[in-house]
Amino acid sequence: MGAFASGLTRTAQRFGGVVLIALLGAAAVFFALRAGQGDPALAALGDQATPEAVAAFRARWRLDDPLALQFGRWLAGAATGDFGASMVIASGEPIAQLIASRLPNTLFIGAYALALAISISLTAGVVAALRHGRFVDGAATSAAVLGISMPDFWLSYVLIYALALGLGLFPSYGFTAPSASFAGALYSGFLPALAIAAPMAAAFTRMLRTALLETLHRDHVRVARSLGHGERFVFVHHVFRNALIPYVTVIGLQVRYLLGGTVVVERIFGVNGLGSLMVDAAFARDYPLVQACALVFLVCVLIVNFAVDLVCAQLDPRRA
Amino acid sequence: MTHHLVSRRLMMQLTGGAAGASILPFGGARAQAQTLRAGIAGFGVINTLDPMKASLIPEYYIMYGVFNALLKFNSKMEIVGDLAESYKTIDDKTLELKLRRGVKFQDGGDFTADDVKFSIERVADEKNASPNRSKVTPISEVKIIDPHTVRIMTKDPYGPLLNYLTNTRTGTQIVSRAAVTSMGQEAFARRPVGTGRYMVKDWKANEGVELTGFAGAFEGAPRFMSVNCPLIAEESSGMTAILGNQIDLTSTAPFADVPTLEKRTDIRVLKQAGLNTRYIALNNKRAPFDDVHFRRAVSMAFDRDVLVKAVLFGEGVASPSILPPAHWLDGALAANPAVKFDPAAARAEFAKSKYKAGQEGVMLVWGSNWWRRFGEIFVGQVNQVLGVKLTIQAMDFNAALARTRAGDYDAMVMGWLGLVDPDEYIGEMLGSKGFRNIHHYASEKMDGLLARARTEIDPKKRTAIYREAETLALEEMPVLPCFTSNVHNLIRSNLTGFEQFAYANFGDQFGNMKPG
Repeated sequence: MGAFASGLTRTAQRFGGVVLIALLGAAAVFFALRAGQGDPALAALGDQATPEAVAAFRARWRLDDPLALQFGRWLAGAATGDFGASMVIASGEPIAQLIASRLPNTLFIGAYALALAISISLTAGVVAALRHGRFVDGAATSAAVLGISMPDFWLSYVLIYALALGLGLFPSYGFTAPSASFAGALYSGFLPALAIAAPMAAAFTRMLRTALLETLHRDHVRVARSLGHGERFVFVHHVFRNALIPYVTVIGLQVRYLLGGTVVVERIFGVNGLGSLMVDAAFARDYPLVQACALVFLVCVLIVNFAVDLVCAQLDPRRA
Repeated sequence: MTHHLVSRRLMMQLTGGAAGASILPFGGARAQAQTLRAGIAGFGVINTLDPMKASLIPEYYIMYGVFNALLKFNSKMEIVGDLAESYKTIDDKTLELKLRRGVKFQDGGDFTADDVKFSIERVADEKNASPNRSKVTPISEVKIIDPHTVRIMTKDPYGPLLNYLTNTRTGTQIVSRAAVTSMGQEAFARRPVGTGRYMVKDWKANEGVELTGFAGAFEGAPRFMSVNCPLIAEESSGMTAILGNQIDLTSTAPFADVPTLEKRTDIRVLKQAGLNTRYIALNNKRAPFDDVHFRRAVSMAFDRDVLVKAVLFGEGVASPSILPPAHWLDGALAANPAVKFDPAAARAEFAKSKYKAGQEGVMLVWGSNWWRRFGEIFVGQVNQVLGVKLTIQAMDFNAALARTRAGDYDAMVMGWLGLVDPDEYIGEMLGSKGFRNIHHYASEKMDGLLARARTEIDPKKRTAIYREAETLALEEMPVLPCFTSNVHNLIRSNLTGFEQFAYANFGDQFGNMKPG
């Protein structure tokens, strides 16, 4: 009962932390946006807007109210799931509706990229560790360095020219929403997912290889071998499981980069996701839309980190 | 023909892509042979589809196909009737237009003179805060003579009137009074009703617009009854989309890639000298550009031809004036020493100014790479020739625009595209009350010339007055004219019927397009 209560307290504390970070993040985005230069009225009304039209726009969206009041109003709405309406790029459309239509595409591409990165890194990392010092290890390590060094926008165009325009294997632009066709989404989403996955796969591979090599030489592994366990058993139960903890932690940390990657890659490949929406909203100073998108991204990162903590706790052999 | 290990068609079939799930918004794509895929490249936002409120070029790209105006340009850039069958000048201040009979709006309503009156008066109405209001404020009355005849009367003779009644970036496209009244302005802006060959079927914010053909259009039913217009934010992605056969047509092309694209057989590059101007806006009220000698020195301290080569990759021409050389009124302005790269003359002029070597100034740059390159090369050359210390500050357009509106800038790269009358260029940029005059330039002499040009209806006399204004601008150098760029469209070779105009048209041609 005591353990249960203590676990409940820990979870509640962690949840409280998540809420606090979300609040701070939302406040940071809100005030940073307002501190920057630019005016949503100019984006909505055009550069020919008269001062009267600008004033009317600002009055309609209550942009001249004190900032604290504006933030409080926005926060109260957001707490109930009402993010208000887009001021500029979707003039008057409810933001919750926009997010509902765009978030699934971003989550799909993100999950697809993560799945690709994990698949590639598990294979390359394990092979490199088991063939330490040989050609395969060198090749995997070099590929990882290359992957980390490549900016995602550059890699996107390389993939387009090589695999779409060169070999004609994939579409060079556009994306089928998973709700329309899951297979179509897998096909049309492959290049954008790969562009996001490549640098992550490289980072994961390096981490997994290092963790496996370190663990391979630990005392408990030698003990397991001396007890007569087979190499496969030792690797799976004593090496791989231990190495997974830093590996999973790195995956959690990389998720924020994954979401950042979608912002760039979505625009290049024409994926109508939350990232491209947020970029255009930011250029247009569509304040409530940027705030809502940023909050959704932030909550996604927090949820993933929360999940990673739980997974790491489960993976810890000391719990077994 | 290129052979692939696995064809795209097979991949599409395997993944269900060809079974109706489109990779573009709205489900067009190849599965429907009747769908034209016309990508709007370089833009991610459309705010409105109401001509009265429109200001962005992608909004007009769509509206050109949804609406007609009273007049339009033909392929020789001559003004001809659109919804007006004919027009004649009754006197210096009265234009009479005979309207086409039997024209239907897309909702089935009849087009009459009352719709003309309504369309122009709503742009002029101060309450509506139309960005195009200044174009129609000289109109004193739109008088209905009969259901198919209107007279547009102006307070004074009004030189730009005919241009401002064309289906270009004017806002005077004709809307249905009944539709606006019944729908309300906000709803109309999303599902507008015009007489054009396409109706708006769907508009997804930040994604694109889907059009459907209007079988009852007076110009005839279009060959493609469905047009999918995705908004492709990155210009280079528009190019890769058409190269990969994901779209059929683009609204523009990256300058650097034009020479390569011209060598391809599956794509045609349409291009011509554009009606646009690219220049350096100067804050005439703030150091160091408050000194005419300094402005003139800077003008002679950079090579416009270098900008054309390095920024446009040759896709344009250096321009001595903010009025583009392609303009119907202009022709070629004679070479003038004030806009010729001449380091010695630049240094001599600099010596007359109140500023010395080492003078600092900040140049705002924004937008895509070529705009930034434009500013960087300009600053590099000027610093080298004059020994001044101009620096670059990069930001997005919204922030830059807000800075100029507040008067908080020294210099900025700037440009306008698709304007059809000199009044929009010289008048609005250099007139002391012109809304494009972000330079705080005010000259009584210039205002006098511009007022005369605006009230002159003889084209030759108007041209002569604008020439005087251009010459005055070269003396006082309130802005630094640099170059005009070509306009481009990429089109798949199996399609015909798209006629390109210098003002960067788009949607008006969808109805003429056909396979083969």
